Amino acid sequence: MNTYHDLYGLKILYRRIIGLAIFSAIVLLAPLVVKEGYFLEVLFLCNYYVVLACTWDLLSGYTGKVSFGHNLFVGAAGYTGAVLNLNLGWGPWLTLPMGGLVAGLLGLLVGAVTLRLKGPYFGGVTFCIGMLLYKFLCISTKTLGGEEGLPGVSPLMSSPLGNYYFSAIFMLIAVYFLYFLTRSSFGLILTSIGANEQASEGSGINTTFYKVAAFTMSGAIAGIASAMYTHIMQHATPAMAHETLGAVVLMMAVVGGMGTILGPIIGGYVLTIINEAFRFMGDMRLLIYSGLTFGMFLFAPKGVFDIILRVYRRITQGRKQPT
Amino acid sequence: MNSNLLDIHDISKAFGGLQAVSKFDLQVKERDIIGIIGPNGAGKTTLFNLMTGFIHPDSGDVILKGENITRLKPFQVVNRGMARTFQLVDLFKELTVLENMMIPCFSRRACCKRSDACLPGKKEEKCYESAMRFLEEVGLGDRFNEKAENLAFGELRLLDIGRAMATQPDILLLDEPFSGLDVQDTEILTLAIKKMQQQGQTMIIIEHRLRELLKLVERVVAIVFGEKIAEGPPQEIMNNQKVIDAYLGDKRN
Repeated sequence: MNTYHDLYGLKILYRRIIGLAIFSAIVLLAPLVVKEGYFLEVLFLCNYYVVLACTWDLLSGYTGKVSFGHNLFVGAAGYTGAVLNLNLGWGPWLTLPMGGLVAGLLGLLVGAVTLRLKGPYFGGVTFCIGMLLYKFLCISTKTLGGEEGLPGVSPLMSSPLGNYYFSAIFMLIAVYFLYFLTRSSFGLILTSIGANEQASEGSGINTTFYKVAAFTMSGAIAGIASAMYTHIMQHATPAMAHETLGAVVLMMAVVGGMGTILGPIIGGYVLTIINEAFRFMGDMRLLIYSGLTFGMFLFAPKGVFDIILRVYRRITQGRKQPT
Repeated sequence: MNSNLLDIHDISKAFGGLQAVSKFDLQVKERDIIGIIGPNGAGKTTLFNLMTGFIHPDSGDVILKGENITRLKPFQVVNRGMARTFQLVDLFKELTVLENMMIPCFSRRACCKRSDACLPGKKEEKCYESAMRFLEEVGLGDRFNEKAENLAFGELRLLDIGRAMATQPDILLLDEPFSGLDVQDTEILTLAIKKMQQQGQTMIIIEHRLRELLKLVERVVAIVFGEKIAEGPPQEIMNNQKVIDAYLGDKRN
């Protein structure tokens, strides 16, 4: 007779945990190889986008309630951080949690209203609210700097290397937290909601509670990341609340593999690096993004992570066969 | 207070101009096994939806153990002790059989019934144990690690019934449990239901296939166009002229 730990304990996950550990080591040791400021900044952006993609995955990847409004969290938390820093002189140790708090509350509010509805309302509302926030930031020229945004936010760390390590450690904590959260009953229930919400509810599960909880957590973590980004860039801009960002985050999770947490890590790195490599193309980069996402939808709807798993299985099974 | 486990008073529901259920009444006592029969579109499944909170009635009340549960949400109804299966079995396909069974074990009712409550950290392990026990009960114990999408139709049915049982309901509602099953699966399911009956499980069974149903139930309710046309022991219902007309009329069309 199997026990719970035989099936779900760390033993069965050891490959993924080893993978995560190797990944963590690479992230932490990368500055030994990458010394140039520009590349370090690209890696910082990777960390930032990985957090956004993984937090998006928690609700949307697991339950299939696709949010088009991750930019809402990012914009709201980024400006919260900037305003508190510029007007009240609060340092990052206060503005980061406040950014998370504001974005978390937004998630709670928007989620509590829209996630109880069946149908496309959630996607539509998240899209519209994100857009409203963007417009609001653009026209608030007196208080929030309009399209210029709010420059002059105090830096997070004194050096690019410090910034990188801060973002890397935050990203790793977020990834580990989300990964083990989705491996618990919480993740199992979210998956069941994605598979068949009616049956989940018919099993005595308060599905609305779990969806709203996931959206709130997702918002809070993304919010902290966004406030961090504002401090590192020393500038909050309306672009943070633009729907392009929401779409990019969605694409990262889709390309990486929705509902896996580990997939969006890959998606976050791949698309951020593509984004930087094709910077010379300007906004035409979105064509590459869209093309890639479209191709993934058509040929590998489960994302890069699934391809890696399948290749890994083929290699290991191929090795076993001759014996 | 009366001693009925479940009281349905005059519930009605219309979808636009269609009166799906009208002024339906039903009393269920503990250990009752009640069959609900009726031709296609008679409002049987709608009745279950109304009882379990998936749809709310236009009028009337559903009283479970003295508490009015008419306006509650489906998960609240389950947590108060009434669980159902679905006519079109469509479980959590990408999860394993075991994980399918664990979901109802996470419900508040199942946690409370286990007396270990929902201790954080221990929850998954306790749920795993009780999910395994329920899997053994429906005879799927050895397939626990199979993806639900790989199960045969009959096994999926059993899993769905097990899923509802795992919430430890006072009343179990089975929605056409025999439809689409072959002879062998029908046999297995009949045995499973009889076993639950012996354990004292109160059940309401919607069924189209009268032969299987009449072997199991003590009382049959026949509905046509959302209205109750007869209620009584199986033999009486079989010989009831109104019921015969409704069924033959259905067949002729």
